[in-house]
Amino acid sequence: MKKLFGLATATAMLLGSTAPSFAADTLALVVSTLNNPFFVTLKEGAEGKASELGYELLVLDSQNDPAKELAAVEDVLNKDVKLLMINPTDSDAVRSAIRAANRKDVPVVTLDRGASGGEVVSHVASDNVQGGEMAAELVNSTFEGTAKVVELQGVPGTSAARDRGEGFNKGIDAVEGLSIVASQAADFDRTKGLNVMENILQAQPEIDVVFAHNDEMALGAIKAIEAAKRDILVIGFDGTDDAVAAVNDGTMLATVAQQAGMIGALGVETADKILKGEAVPEYTPVPLKLIQK
Amino acid sequence: MTRSFDFRTFVMENIPLIGLIVLMAAVSLYSPNFLTVDNLLNILRQTSINAIIAMGMTFVILTAGIDLSVGSILAFAGAVCASMIAADTPLIVALLTTLVIGAALGAASGSIIAFFGVQAFIATLVGMTMVRGLVLVYTDGRPISTGDFDVANSFYEVGGGYIAGIPIPVVIAGVVFLACWYVLNYTRLGRYVYAIGGNEQVAQLAGVNVSRVKVIVYAISGALSALAGIILTARLESAQPTAGLAYELDAIAAVVLGGTSLAGGRGRITGTLIGALIIGVLNNALNIMDVSSYYQMIAKGAVILLAVVLDGRSKATSK
Amino acid sequence: MTALLELRGVDKAFGSVRVLQGVDFTVESGHVVALAGENGAGKSTLMKIITGIYRRDAGSMKYRGQEARFANARQSMDAGIAMIHQELNLLPALSVGENIFLGREPVDSTGRILWGEIDRESRHWLGQLKQNIDPRTETGKLSIAQQQMVEIARALSMNAEVIIMDEPTDSLTDVETKILFDVVDHLRAEGKGLVFISHRLGEIFQMCDDVAVLRDGAMVHQGPVSEIDEDTLIRHMVGRELSDQYPFVPAVPAAVRLKVEGLVARGVREVSFEARAGEVVGFAGLVGAGRTELGKAIYGANPATAGTIEIDGAPMRIGTPRDGVRAGIGYVTEDRKLEGLIQSHGLRRNMSLTGLFRFSGSSGHIDKRAERAEITDYINAFSIKTHGIDAVVSQLSGGNQQKVSIAKSLVPKPRILILDEPTRGVDVGAKREIYTLINELKAQGLCILLMSSDMPELLGISDRILVMSNGLLTGSFDRGEADQEAIMRCTVAGLTEGTVQ
Repeated sequence: MKKLFGLATATAMLLGSTAPSFAADTLALVVSTLNNPFFVTLKEGAEGKASELGYELLVLDSQNDPAKELAAVEDVLNKDVKLLMINPTDSDAVRSAIRAANRKDVPVVTLDRGASGGEVVSHVASDNVQGGEMAAELVNSTFEGTAKVVELQGVPGTSAARDRGEGFNKGIDAVEGLSIVASQAADFDRTKGLNVMENILQAQPEIDVVFAHNDEMALGAIKAIEAAKRDILVIGFDGTDDAVAAVNDGTMLATVAQQAGMIGALGVETADKILKGEAVPEYTPVPLKLIQK
Repeated sequence: MTRSFDFRTFVMENIPLIGLIVLMAAVSLYSPNFLTVDNLLNILRQTSINAIIAMGMTFVILTAGIDLSVGSILAFAGAVCASMIAADTPLIVALLTTLVIGAALGAASGSIIAFFGVQAFIATLVGMTMVRGLVLVYTDGRPISTGDFDVANSFYEVGGGYIAGIPIPVVIAGVVFLACWYVLNYTRLGRYVYAIGGNEQVAQLAGVNVSRVKVIVYAISGALSALAGIILTARLESAQPTAGLAYELDAIAAVVLGGTSLAGGRGRITGTLIGALIIGVLNNALNIMDVSSYYQMIAKGAVILLAVVLDGRSKATSK
Repeated sequence: MTALLELRGVDKAFGSVRVLQGVDFTVESGHVVALAGENGAGKSTLMKIITGIYRRDAGSMKYRGQEARFANARQSMDAGIAMIHQELNLLPALSVGENIFLGREPVDSTGRILWGEIDRESRHWLGQLKQNIDPRTETGKLSIAQQQMVEIARALSMNAEVIIMDEPTDSLTDVETKILFDVVDHLRAEGKGLVFISHRLGEIFQMCDDVAVLRDGAMVHQGPVSEIDEDTLIRHMVGRELSDQYPFVPAVPAAVRLKVEGLVARGVREVSFEARAGEVVGFAGLVGAGRTELGKAIYGANPATAGTIEIDGAPMRIGTPRDGVRAGIGYVTEDRKLEGLIQSHGLRRNMSLTGLFRFSGSSGHIDKRAERAEITDYINAFSIKTHGIDAVVSQLSGGNQQKVSIAKSLVPKPRILILDEPTRGVDVGAKREIYTLINELKAQGLCILLMSSDMPELLGISDRILVMSNGLLTGSFDRGEADQEAIMRCTVAGLTEGTVQ
């Protein structure tokens, strides 16, 4: 079924320009990538809420490419969409796409990642800094104030890596007994999480806990730790299916769940309010959730 | 024709090897954790994936071609293999099927190049894009776990196991290296690969079936990419839809670092192995020394540039 | 007569190798000087010193009475010394006009190129060479001979005082060579100084005023052509007597080895002939007459669209070079650089490429010992001068490269050998060695097809001569009855559609 669905979306993307006319009001959702389960969940949350509220939802995939993103936005703006929800590939690069929507008077809501320019009615996102702090608190409570910590960073320079790292480091620095012994980038990638963790294991004889900026890296790190037969706890971030499963079977201590589905759903709810003329806050925080066994 | 040992010539001909040794010596001065048996095995294991792909890439580049589709083939092969393991397919069947699929995808690119005269860069760029699309459709953008059947445990050994204390991926890479070395140095196919890269017209006129050799070469590259995909999937016990992104660049870098000419016809498989090791040692060293990730990329680029410039200069002077 | 260019005591060494020693060389206004010498005698080095590509270690050079020292080719060109290189230096993707004016395009005050002028000027200089080539043609689409003419037009267009021509007639047919000689006469009358490098001794006597002979880096003779004869000249060049330039051993009558019937292919309109084992059949014709195309069609590199090929009475299907090799045909191309040898590879890899199946079974494993033994045998038997079995081919002289090329075609043990211009760019001594080799192969029973534009060579070593013109056979001569004039008539016969056959 999943596969069938994947094919259907792929076909829909291909046939985007020849989509039939819409009976209900149409919302557009331009997602940075559908290569990543997180954004697939986000998309599914939005789809669920949209059908509940009676909207057609047009989903386009930017494939992590700002140029494709702009083209996707330009395409949907040529259709009769009432509102544009966009999950930017890059906060800066998305500005021209948002301005294009502004020119056509189509309201814009950003999801998960913000935009550094253009008129955005509302930004719906989870608070990554808070998420990092939550992870630090968990380290503190689990090890009662004394632990050697490894941090696996996301793609250097991305806002998610910055914010999660900032919150986490703030939380760790606040407690004297906690120290970060290594902090290396593994680019949000499971394979790199594995390799980088293997290398750190070689260099650091004592590690108590690993905090990874996303679940993919956390899962890779777990493989490295298992292979080295070391006893180290791992905390991830995002709450993907694989990570939740790992938490449930005890291989992962916890994952800070960004509620991806909820971001999508809250995005559509916000859109609904805007279209009905209700006031919406500039920033809609989506609560994070610590998933533990 | 006996020649006395000439130190200068030796240095000039072995720039990559010397570079590797200097790099390792420098890192071991900085970090006591570097030159340990565990860490060296660790480096070898991490290098094995790129080394296997780069050895296939060496065949392609020796014919003056290029294969950009390796990363996509790796991901697709991994996904297919993971789903077969998850469906309790006997290990040997799953592995062979995956390798055949990799070879077939490579042969498809090779055929487009050989029979339609499409440039290798374009043909494999198309392959890279389309196969990546296949991966996304096949996996629906999500990782595929290898499941809970017994076969998943033996499959894990392919990536995580040991034979006589040596990681199995390293053993596999070693076997692949010996096979490639034999083929390139001791078989007709190897000679034809060099000849086509040296001058395709000459090879054609000498009765070499150029199209056939090209298809075989891309099939080898595809099969080795699939092999790398199997190992990666086994290590992670799951296949990632994004696996292998930009792996073609690491593979090409390894080949070039090893002294193989992108113009074709000249190069050695040993060089490729050393090139892959240089990249592996560098990644490991930067992690071990806890270098800030912002500086890591600059360091990597600088090392590759230095190696290639030195090698190019030694070739120019030894001419 | 005044000396335009005067070199005294020029030395040049590369590392420890002395290439030129105390060379004196004079070019006078209104004179054509032939520069003769075997390959490796130092001719190219001397010319490169004159044109500023190399610097001399010692000695002086006066140009128009003034001491001159050029730092690069550009300076010598600006001063009025033009060089026509043996290897064509044209950019195939550019038009003929662009090539002629490359680097000195006429521009208006805003820097825009004056295409009209390039067009007009190019037509003028090509016209002087009686070449009706559109300057806007892509250069790569011209024949080698036409490209050579473009190269000559470029030198003429520079209004140079001294023009150096390195083997200019090598890729030209007799007709074009004659045109070139007329141009040379014209330039001589204008008082230019010309240096003419050629391996074809006949041409030296035909068109040069003076002859200078280099041997092993020393100038062993310079004087008027009228005071020297061919034998003396050869003796100066090689430093010993050459008994007979064209050694010939008549064929022993044998069975028909190759029978070609109604063969049609690109460039070959319809050709039928027979050749016997132990016989050398020469093919004469102008460039573009279809000789190369015929050779390639028989070998499979230019697939035949009609006609049959029989070898030793058995019909053969030959559609690719691979088929040709299997049918027992050896082929030596006229274009060593592009089609014959992989320049960056060693002797061994080049020589065994075609016949690799002889050292490897169905598994593809190469028996390196057998390979080395056989390649070493060939290197010794052909006296190929090299410092090793894996020495890079590009470092060998032209003659040695040609021997490698021939050996390469012999490794698969062919029954028929097709030689296309086997002595092009090869010096006198090596030429004779190749002729001797041809005689030996013939004695071993090989059937040899020899395509050559060098008429004395064809007459000298062929048992029979077939003439091609415009893709057809227009004449057939036995050794006794062949003469240059009769053959020449046949070479142009096909051009008027009438066949003499």
